[in-house]
Amino acid sequence: MADADHFDKLKQAIIDQDEDAVLAAVDAALADGIGAKTVIDQGLLPGLNVIGQQFEDEEIFLPELMQAALAFQAAMTVLEPKIKEEGAGADKKGIVVLGTVKGDLHSIGKNILKLLYETSGFEVYDLGIDVDLFSFINKAKEVNADIIAMSALLTTTLVGQRDVIDALKDAGERDKYKVLIGGGATTKEWADTIGADGWAATAYEAVTISTKLVS
Amino acid sequence: MIDLIEVFDRAETGPLTSETDYYMKRFVPKLTEVIGRHGVKWDKQTIINTDDALTDAVFEAAVDLIAEAGAYCPETNRVMQFTREEIEIANRECPTSATFGEGRERKTMYGRRPDTTDDRPWVHVGGGIYTTDEQVYVDTVEKMASYNIVDSVSVPSILHLRGKDARVRSPQEILAATKTVRLAREGIRRSGRAGMPIINGISAASQPASMFAASYPDFGLRPSDGFLIDFLSEMVVGYEALQKVAFYNSISANIGSTSTPLFGGYAGGAEGVAVQATAYMIMGNLIFRGSYHYNAPLHSKLHLSSTKPLIWAIAMSNAAIGRNMQYPMVNLPYLGGGSGTKQYHYEMACYMLAVVTSGGNVFSGHPAMAVQPDSLVPDDHKFHAEMGLAAAKLTRAEAEPIAQKLFPLFGDKLKDPDKGLTFQEVYDMQTKRIKNAEYQKVMDDVREELAGMGLEVPVS
Repeated sequence: MADADHFDKLKQAIIDQDEDAVLAAVDAALADGIGAKTVIDQGLLPGLNVIGQQFEDEEIFLPELMQAALAFQAAMTVLEPKIKEEGAGADKKGIVVLGTVKGDLHSIGKNILKLLYETSGFEVYDLGIDVDLFSFINKAKEVNADIIAMSALLTTTLVGQRDVIDALKDAGERDKYKVLIGGGATTKEWADTIGADGWAATAYEAVTISTKLVS
Repeated sequence: MIDLIEVFDRAETGPLTSETDYYMKRFVPKLTEVIGRHGVKWDKQTIINTDDALTDAVFEAAVDLIAEAGAYCPETNRVMQFTREEIEIANRECPTSATFGEGRERKTMYGRRPDTTDDRPWVHVGGGIYTTDEQVYVDTVEKMASYNIVDSVSVPSILHLRGKDARVRSPQEILAATKTVRLAREGIRRSGRAGMPIINGISAASQPASMFAASYPDFGLRPSDGFLIDFLSEMVVGYEALQKVAFYNSISANIGSTSTPLFGGYAGGAEGVAVQATAYMIMGNLIFRGSYHYNAPLHSKLHLSSTKPLIWAIAMSNAAIGRNMQYPMVNLPYLGGGSGTKQYHYEMACYMLAVVTSGGNVFSGHPAMAVQPDSLVPDDHKFHAEMGLAAAKLTRAEAEPIAQKLFPLFGDKLKDPDKGLTFQEVYDMQTKRIKNAEYQKVMDDVREELAGMGLEVPVS
């Protein structure tokens, strides 16, 4: 089978959110001598790009997005050891530390963003909900993050976003990370007021802004 | 019906699972399965469904979803399971009315059936919009409560103390919550209708401690008001919600079970939201022991509820419950256009035509995408209540062609809605009369346009 046919199969299997088909296509591509990194770059990621666009266009929804991400993750468990063997590093757009701020228990928007980040080539560390400000900062230090992304749905929890930025300033580390905020209670004005680097109204927009922030 | 302590125990005894597994191995596959099993399908054109067989299919799918997927308690990582028989018994024993208020203002909200044209639905107005100034807050509540057609109000929120906003879980949040209640009751008293119920209590409280504190009778709330308890995200029943259930049942207060299924979230599209919204109402009775339901489906990206598939889904859930349980319902319309704009009024008319003819009670709109502080403008809400009462005289079949005429007037603007006005921009702050002639003209023009489409909206 020609390489292009393998890439088409990989891409289509991701678009179909079919984990078994993804794994079979990965095995077939590797068996024909295609490198693991090439499998990702030319087969899986183009499929994920289609999935991301379909999600944005409301042709598919969160369950399908999650299914595609799970299929991709299954493929990565096979491909990551191969990439190490090949001595190549997997390309990633950037490293993101993500969470919903202290006192806020809402997760769906944050979960959507996590999936879109992953399917767009970012490495994501999801700290979950009700995240303490120092957990954001310590994790960002630990993984050498490019971006700290914080969600807040409630008006009473907005201040948690400001706290993280203030703590970064106090520690003299504000310039180390780009800070992106979003969530139902946030606005562009709020982002400007607290000195965030970006504000996104939707998860898709957050990925677009993040890509610009790290480029 | 299983008792409340047994309900709480289900959060301690159900199968253990992670949240991701709950969604990916239980909820999502089951939702897809029950939608297919019962043939739930939106044709992408209809706004107000009139097919009763499809309506009942949505209801059956919702019952199956609860019986087969259960709810999820994140604190215990357990699935709260209920048998089909337990759900059906709860449905049979569901309240079909809820009584609110005191004295002359003590009235009853009823669960309505679709196509009922000879009743007078409950009229609820207002919303929890952030307010910057105490005087504006009291004036807003006073004006809303003073409209004779209004039966209950949702009051705005005011979070700041000494110029600073209260933070969640802080002592200031408790003080902000109690302040909100005191100011709201004062506004209602000034309207001359002291017994009128507040049914979105407590707008400034985001945690149980603040709600319980502000429920202390001296601050002005009573069990005959309504207290909202919400599902955190799809099928999630958290401890905070169950704490509120325990408390408000203990003081025999009216509970408004509240849900916000997300279009584009775990429930997916129109069909999933219709089934999920219906399931929430069933669970609102079964798990929260609600007296009424606050149904607030929302678009996950646009943060509003006036897209075509969402209006279809919301109306469908009202009809499904109206035909099979008659649990009293109000629907919270999150609208794209800002206060006082034509877009806002068109969206409201379309939404009202859909939900009121399908069995919902009347609830005025809430600017969502274009919301700004102080944008709860009482005359908008009076107009919207009048639209609701006009819609109540129509059947779903009569309302559908009018809704179809209205949708093109705002559908393309939902992603970039018209900005609106604030209380201060509309009213003379001394007399509290409308000072903005353009605001009044927009309302008059829309009223005339609606009449031309077949929806006569008399001025009350």
